[in-house]
Amino acid sequence: MHSIFSRINNVSAFLSSCMMALLAAIALSSFVFTADPHGDLAISSIKVVSSNARRYPNKKQDLAFVHFNVTADLTPLFHWNTKQLFLYLEAEYTNKQGVKNDVVIWDRIVRRKEDAVINFAGKNKYMFRDISSTFKNSPPASYSLKYNVMPYVGLLTYGEAARTTEAVAFPPTQSRL
Amino acid sequence: MSSFIQEITEGKIDFEGQHLVDLIAKSVLSGSAVVGFLVGFALQDLRVTFGIMALATLTLTMVLLPPWPMFNRHPVKWLPSVDTKAKAE
Repeated sequence: MHSIFSRINNVSAFLSSCMMALLAAIALSSFVFTADPHGDLAISSIKVVSSNARRYPNKKQDLAFVHFNVTADLTPLFHWNTKQLFLYLEAEYTNKQGVKNDVVIWDRIVRRKEDAVINFAGKNKYMFRDISSTFKNSPPASYSLKYNVMPYVGLLTYGEAARTTEAVAFPPTQSRL
Repeated sequence: MSSFIQEITEGKIDFEGQHLVDLIAKSVLSGSAVVGFLVGFALQDLRVTFGIMALATLTLTMVLLPPWPMFNRHPVKWLPSVDTKAKAE
């Protein structure tokens, strides 16, 4: 501590220790906030259309078009350590081969608390298809709205905001939309 | 000239001053971390927390780094030099 450089060294060393403790405290403080908001999710219509697979001209590929309504008030998830929310709508079904599938068909990033009241009606953003190229004989799928809270400091936390009350069956394939 | 530059850049302070610097740095930094956390938590704003930390750091660099006279109030008192040449004669 006798010279300027040893004072810089000492003060900055203790500053970094204090910052580490502060960041750890902020990360732990997110566990105090245990908001568990719930919204509604309804599937308004679902169509399965047979189309050409993009890469193989003679192969048919079933595409599902899911229209849905989602309403949820996710403002309680915003606290001092929330940077943004990642919302995603997942279709969950076990296909006829018995493989459990979770397919993300829509998502949204919420950056501000003012945008956290979700009221959306629309259709799937990402192509929804089965690896076996058909939804025939697939048991009904249930849909859920999930969220991922991204903090400034600390751990990502996951949760479920809404779920369809009962599973929605895939309709028979139609050749045209 | 070179010893003058060396003195400026070295910024020596006495032992009591070093103790005081250590005390101020530790108490202000840990205190502002605690206060920053509490105030930020109360206002639900991380910017307040880091603003308080930044303000404390800036103030400490101004107060602690230069060799201010208040850190040099207790200079070491050396014993008077013994004139060995006069004894020999």
